[in-house]
Amino acid sequence: MGALSRRRFLTVSGLGLGALAGGGLAGCAASMKGDFAPKSGPRVVVIGGGWGGATAAKYVRLLDPGVEVILIEPGRRFVSCPFSNLVVAGVRTIDSLTMGYDGLRQRGVRIIHETASAIEPDTKRVRLGEGYLQYDRLLVSPGVDFQWEQVEGLAQNQETILHAWKAGPQTVQLAQQLAAMPDGGVFVLSIPLAAYRCPPGPYERTSLVAWYLKANKPRAKLIVLDANPNIISKTALFRAAWQAYPNIDYRPASRVIGVDPGAREVRTEFDRVRYDVLNLIPPQRAGAIAVQADLVGGDKRWCEVNHVTYESVKQPGIHVIGDATIGLPVPKSGNVANAMGKIAAASVVSLINGKQPPTLAPGNTCYSWVSDREAIAVVNAYKIDNGKVVQIEQKLTPAQSPLVAQRAVGWAQSIWADVLS
Amino acid sequence: MSAAPLVAAGLLLGVLGATTAEAAGPLDERGAVKSVTCAACHGVGGNSRSAAMPIIAGLDAGYLKKQIEAYAAGKRLSAEMEPYAKQVLDLGVDDVVAYFAARRREPTPVTSPADAIARGSSAAAQCASCHGPRGQGDAAQGIPSLAGQAPGYLREQMLLFKAERRSPGDPAVGAVKAMLKAIPDDTFADLAAYYSSLR
Repeated sequence: MGALSRRRFLTVSGLGLGALAGGGLAGCAASMKGDFAPKSGPRVVVIGGGWGGATAAKYVRLLDPGVEVILIEPGRRFVSCPFSNLVVAGVRTIDSLTMGYDGLRQRGVRIIHETASAIEPDTKRVRLGEGYLQYDRLLVSPGVDFQWEQVEGLAQNQETILHAWKAGPQTVQLAQQLAAMPDGGVFVLSIPLAAYRCPPGPYERTSLVAWYLKANKPRAKLIVLDANPNIISKTALFRAAWQAYPNIDYRPASRVIGVDPGAREVRTEFDRVRYDVLNLIPPQRAGAIAVQADLVGGDKRWCEVNHVTYESVKQPGIHVIGDATIGLPVPKSGNVANAMGKIAAASVVSLINGKQPPTLAPGNTCYSWVSDREAIAVVNAYKIDNGKVVQIEQKLTPAQSPLVAQRAVGWAQSIWADVLS
Repeated sequence: MSAAPLVAAGLLLGVLGATTAEAAGPLDERGAVKSVTCAACHGVGGNSRSAAMPIIAGLDAGYLKKQIEAYAAGKRLSAEMEPYAKQVLDLGVDDVVAYFAARRREPTPVTSPADAIARGSSAAAQCASCHGPRGQGDAAQGIPSLAGQAPGYLREQMLLFKAERRSPGDPAVGAVKAMLKAIPDDTFADLAAYYSSLR
C-alpha cells in the first residue's frame, strides 16, 4: 500500500464509512436491480461470512482501508461449528456459540444478507436478486454443501435426517433427540469418506455422545459407521479416550449407502443397522456457488487454488478459501480457513496495489473435546516451498487433560474475535 | 464529514500497528504480515483477551525470541507452540518479535475474585525479588513482566515449572523452579489472580 497517499486513504475510507452510515445497502432484494451499488474505487467482494470469508473481509479492511469491502452472507448470525459438539452433549448452549457481524460493520465492511446467485468472471460481477455487484477482486469462501444423492433415501428426507454438520438449528435438534432417546436405545453416527469438513469432528462427536450416554443412559449404545478404514485424525488419542466409553461400537470401513426412516434403519454395503436416533453426516463438496462458477475441478467437488494467493487455477481474479479448497496438505478446519482468509486478504490487497503478494503459509490448531472437561489437540505448521504449501511439522498433545481444555477455550475466544471483531 | 470517520479509520490502521500512517501501510511492516497467523490464539497485535492464551504484545524482543527458539528446539515443551515456533523461525523470528515488542500491551480483561487477589498479593513477596514489586520484570536480566498477563496462562506456567515440564534442566530457571516446588498448587491460582490484576 506504499503508493497509497494519506489523502487518498482518508478520502476513500471516509467515503466508505460515510456510505455505510447512510445505510447505502439495505440488503433488500427488492432494491437489488441493475448495478445497485456502483463502484467508486477499488472493491473486494467476499462471498460467504464463515471462518474464512468473515476473516478475509476484516483483514482486507485492516490492511488497506482504501479498499471497499462488501460481504455477502445470508445468515444474520455467525454460529461456530467448533465447540458445537458440546451443544450436542448438553454441555454448552448454541447461544454461547452464536455471534453477530457488528464487529465487521464497525471496521467498514458492508454486509448484504442475501445469497449470491451467480458469478460472472468475464464482467467481474456477482449476481444478487435481480441486480449485480461489480468487483475488482472476488474472495469466495463457500464452505461445503451436502451430496444427498450419495445415500439412497436421503435426498427426500434431508429435512428430518440430521447431519448437524453446520452449526445451528440441527445442532439443537440433535441434542434434543439425544436427550429424548430411551435408555437402552441405539444412537447411530455415520461418517463419510474423507475429504469432508473437520476431519476429527465426527470422532469428537463420538466421544461426547458416548460421554453423555455413559452419564445419563448407561444401557444405551453408540454405533459409529465410519466409511474410512480407521479414525482419520488424532487416532491414538481418540482410541485412548474411548477406553472410558465401552458403550461405543466403532465399525470402520462401514459406508452407509442407504437409509429408511420408516424402518429406522441404515444400510451399509454389508449390513443393516437399526437406530433410535440417527446422525448421518453426508458426503460433501464445495458450496453451490463454487460449482455454478466453475471453480471446482473435474470431480465437481473441490476447488484447486494457487498456494500463495488462493487465486483459483480456473478463474483469474477469483480467490477461493476455506473448506472448499483442495490440493493443499491442510485439513478442512476453521483455523485453516481463518489463516487462509488473512493470507488471501494480504494477497488481494497487494495485487490491487500493484505489489508482490507475501509468501505466507497457514497454520492449524485443532482442539477436540473427549469429555465435558478434557480435550486433546493437533497442531500443524506449514511453509511455502517452491510456491507450494508444505508441512513443517505436526504435533499432538501427549494426552487428554483439563489444561488442554482450558487452552481450547482460550483458542476459541481468541479466534472468534480474530474472525469477527 | 465529521471527524469520527477519520478517527475510526485511524484506529483501523492502529490495530495492525503501522508505525507511521503517513505512507507505509501494514503490508509494508514485515513483522505485521508475518505474524497474522499468531493472532488466531494471541489476539490481534498480540493482545490476547482470553484467560489461557498469553499476551505477547509489548514483550521484550530478546525474551520473546528466546522463548520461540526454546519452543522450536523442544526445550519449552508445547505441542501447540513447537510447530508454530518453527514456522516463525522459517518466516524470520527477528521481524516477528520486533513487531510484537513494539505493540502496546493491553492488560488482560479477565478479572479474578478479590479474595484470590489478596491471597496472591501476600504470597507474591517471594516472587518480587526477581519479577519486581509490581511484577514488571527486568528485561535486561531476561525476566518477563507478569503484570496484567492472562491468569490461566500464568497458573499453567507455574504448574509446568513445578512439574519440570517447562525448560527441563535449564539452569537459568533453576531458582524459580526450586521456589515453585515449595508452593502448593492451589496457591498458583491466587498468584495468577494477583499478577494478572496488576497494571
